[in-house]
Amino acid sequence: MILAPHVPFLLKGALLTAEACALALFGSLVIGLLVAALRTSSSPLLSRAAFIYVDLFRNIPFIVQLFFFFYGLPEIGIYIDAFTTGVLALSIAGGAFSSDVIRSGILAIDTGILEAAEVSGLSKPTIFRKIVMPIALRTSIRPLGSVFINLVLTSSILSTITLNELTGSAKIVASDTFRPFEVYAVLLIVYASLTYLISLAIGALHRRLNRDRMPDVA
Amino acid sequence: MIRARGVQKSFGSAVVLDGIDLDVNVGEVVSILGSSGSGKSTLIRCMNGLERLDGGLITIDDFDVSNPKDLAEARKRSATVFQLFNLYPHMTAVENVTLAPIQVLRIPRAQAESEARALLDSVGLGARADAYPAQLSGGQRQRVGICRALAMKPRYLLLDEITSALDPEMTAEVLNILAQLARTGTTMVFVTHEIEFARTISSRIVFLDKGRLVVDLPTDRFFAGDGGMANARIAQFLSKMRKE
Repeated sequence: MILAPHVPFLLKGALLTAEACALALFGSLVIGLLVAALRTSSSPLLSRAAFIYVDLFRNIPFIVQLFFFFYGLPEIGIYIDAFTTGVLALSIAGGAFSSDVIRSGILAIDTGILEAAEVSGLSKPTIFRKIVMPIALRTSIRPLGSVFINLVLTSSILSTITLNELTGSAKIVASDTFRPFEVYAVLLIVYASLTYLISLAIGALHRRLNRDRMPDVA
Repeated sequence: MIRARGVQKSFGSAVVLDGIDLDVNVGEVVSILGSSGSGKSTLIRCMNGLERLDGGLITIDDFDVSNPKDLAEARKRSATVFQLFNLYPHMTAVENVTLAPIQVLRIPRAQAESEARALLDSVGLGARADAYPAQLSGGQRQRVGICRALAMKPRYLLLDEITSALDPEMTAEVLNILAQLARTGTTMVFVTHEIEFARTISSRIVFLDKGRLVVDLPTDRFFAGDGGMANARIAQFLSKMRKE
């Protein structure tokens, strides 16, 4: 097969994609939780700030955000390497979408449950950590899965800031071999497998978080 | 003691509590009766600080529930059981019971857990301690709710229509436990529609109507023809509830 000598190179790109996505996935989850907490907080200032963040980053094309961070910031003296920029940009954009999903999970929590927690004397941070967050996550894990899958797909845009992740490497191989059909066919399969793996993981996580509703668990 | 003086509470233009005075002493079981909308549940929700008073004062052992600094202490002394159980759905029965003792009272986990299992055992749920709320029947959930309240070792137990969401059989399961608690001298404020049961466990009965406290009498006086029954509104309420 014509691509055989290029497999290690493509594999390196795939690994870079996986690394960037894993970090960004974690980052967007952390940002999403934090921003969702702020948006549902009783402080008007904090919730306003969080709303602005979400509105801003959901309404700007990802590639524009990325170019701004990578090509724009150095103008004012802020240099960040391509990989870090990519992970940060993905986390920030993913965080905006995650926070939306998590926020609706929080708003769906039965107020009676929160009252029970409040009356028992639990502090607000403890209520968030022990009750609000786990309940919101278990209801929002499936929509979060879609956000994460989108994150993997969006990561292909990182190739535009000199990062030779999967798509970037594929472009190089395609132009080296003049075999775009084969190269991009491989790319299709690899992305589909990556996102399929995430679907599987999300499904397993959903079952685990909602194990109390499974009939066979006593 | 729990002391309410001139308690006022409105929702919008609807006056729900209109000058309630009530004392609950340690060791008493005080049942609060009244038709739906009379303000019974709101009174309990004012006692545990879930509703803010529009006027008047409620203190629990002299801690003012309207004062944020006192409220934490007031809440340590009281515990609430809710009509709709309000268990934490993602935690097992035993986790529901141990959460606040570990987090608020700082009881070591192992000790909290063995106490929780003993409590669950005492309400007949020893074998279901590791089940999740969704895997329990309504009556079992409410028994977990009672254990969750008792685990905080409260001086006052506030019970807000705790059997209203249960069928008669499950109601009996839960009331049996209350009867047990009443015998051991637990102080309770019991908002309920279970009149006959209230009669058997209460030291006093309070009747609310349209946000006002109509009578506050020892149980035997409440049901006497020349006591509470002499009040036309109460007689009407009791005869209607008995027919149902």
